[in-house]
Amino acid sequence: MSPHTQPRQRGMIGGTAATALAVERLGKIYGPGGPEAVEGTGPEFARSVSPSTGAVIGCWDVSFAVAPGEALGIIGESGSGKSTVMRCIAGDQSASAGSVNLAGVDRPGGTPADLLQLAPSDRRALRIDRLSVVYQDPAEGLDLRVSAGGNIAEPLTAAGWRHFGRIRQRAADLLSRTEVPLDRMDDPVLTYSGGMRQRVQLAKALANDPQVVLLDEPTTGLDASVAAGVLDLIRDLLEETGIAAVVVSHDFSVIEMLTRRCLVMHHGRVVEEGLTDQLLEDPQHPYSQRLVGAARG
Amino acid sequence: MSDRTRPDDLTLPDDLLLSIRDLRKRFVLHAVDGRVVEGLQGVDLDVAERRHLALAGLSGAGKSSLLKCIHRTYVADAGTIHYRTEPGAVVDLTGLPDAEMADLRAREIGYVSQFLRAEPRRGVHDVVTRAAVRMGADADESADRAAEVLRRVNIAENLWQTYPTLLSGGEKQRVNLAAGIVVAPRLLLLDEPVSALDPANREGVIEVVADLTARGATVVSVFHDLDAIRRLADLVVVLAGGHVTDRGTPTDVLERGLELVPS
Repeated sequence: MSPHTQPRQRGMIGGTAATALAVERLGKIYGPGGPEAVEGTGPEFARSVSPSTGAVIGCWDVSFAVAPGEALGIIGESGSGKSTVMRCIAGDQSASAGSVNLAGVDRPGGTPADLLQLAPSDRRALRIDRLSVVYQDPAEGLDLRVSAGGNIAEPLTAAGWRHFGRIRQRAADLLSRTEVPLDRMDDPVLTYSGGMRQRVQLAKALANDPQVVLLDEPTTGLDASVAAGVLDLIRDLLEETGIAAVVVSHDFSVIEMLTRRCLVMHHGRVVEEGLTDQLLEDPQHPYSQRLVGAARG
Repeated sequence: MSDRTRPDDLTLPDDLLLSIRDLRKRFVLHAVDGRVVEGLQGVDLDVAERRHLALAGLSGAGKSSLLKCIHRTYVADAGTIHYRTEPGAVVDLTGLPDAEMADLRAREIGYVSQFLRAEPRRGVHDVVTRAAVRMGADADESADRAAEVLRRVNIAENLWQTYPTLLSGGEKQRVNLAAGIVVAPRLLLLDEPVSALDPANREGVIEVVADLTARGATVVSVFHDLDAIRRLADLVVVLAGGHVTDRGTPTDVLERGLELVPS
């Protein structure tokens, strides 16, 4: 089955917010067993390992929707399942349960296609121009041996760009937008600093104007001042482009700066969701309170 | 949030923008053995359109909690906050889905505290310009609007390219207010916006706030300043221990001689 793609819609439609990305009851189990393995895991049991099968429940029962132009945060400690959610949406990992819909990606007949049921080749095709990922580790999102220009040319040629001069011009435009010095454009990314590598990842992620970008700890591991610059850039790009974004981070300052709503994850489950300032000032769940307390001292 | 239903038949008397009934808020501190701190214990409040309502009372009376419940920075435990949106629909802010609340904040409900939370590495003028763009102002026009409002709150032009972190406390407060009103929201929640201002600048800020209601905004405020309350408020509501203990015009309430602010 190949997805029928339709012209994208952005912004408000008929007065109600359209949905760019919808995730329903997403689950990922590493190891033996189906849904029955989930029994006895989660925050109330303080464990992610199934007592019956020994499987690790990466995430379970995770649902959310993101509107065009909106950024949604997912916060939690390492091991809480937030990156698993992202990787299941991106298709880097296969999900065990749930569904994922992307606006405009429909089955023949017009009903929304479940990304999790698409053929691998169709899923990869979505990554070219509809769904982009910026990874914490630039080595995952980029070929470090190749130049910045070459890295960006890859999604462009995959999308059908053929004219060398135009590809080069587009790459240069994107790199200047993400504040990468153009005189370094032909150097291997390996020779770039960490902050610059993230800027190249951003340029590549935006190459074909995707509808949704997934940002997985985009500034973790960078010096504070470099991280601030990259965050600033991400915020500008999100505001300018109207892309829908999911931002995964363990760092409240990142979530606070980029998102207006967020989910808190713990032991693979969503324990709380709310407006970002509400989660920071009036967290309801004991775990959220602990997380905020630890972050705010 | 999502477990509350949203009936379609909410109503609000024509002249009201906001109507709060039996609002309750308590804080459960799970890290402290589930200790409970009482915030609001059944507050009723009506705010007429284009009016300025001032909340008064001692520290800890619940004034800021009430503003934050309206803004949904705090989650109320019980009660209703009915609000008439720009398109004329009546919604209960306590049960509105997060995304809809976020949209309302982006378009019509503003909150200005005494603390500036500006994005790093941006000059003062840029901070205010971006606030205008975010509130839907035309991009070309936003820079001019920012300049105008910065002049009105008396931020010297030679500071406009400076990062807000380098400003004095009073200057930060004025920049924060400027960002909050550069596009006047329909409902403005002011949480002690002038606590660190010298008399001359306070005067300017009071004029700016008075002008907001004159131009059609509705304001709910907390001022630790009787003079500001007297000059700005159409109605004063006095809170103590999470309850409303008095309400009336500023003249009436002040005549009753209540201790409104810590002396």
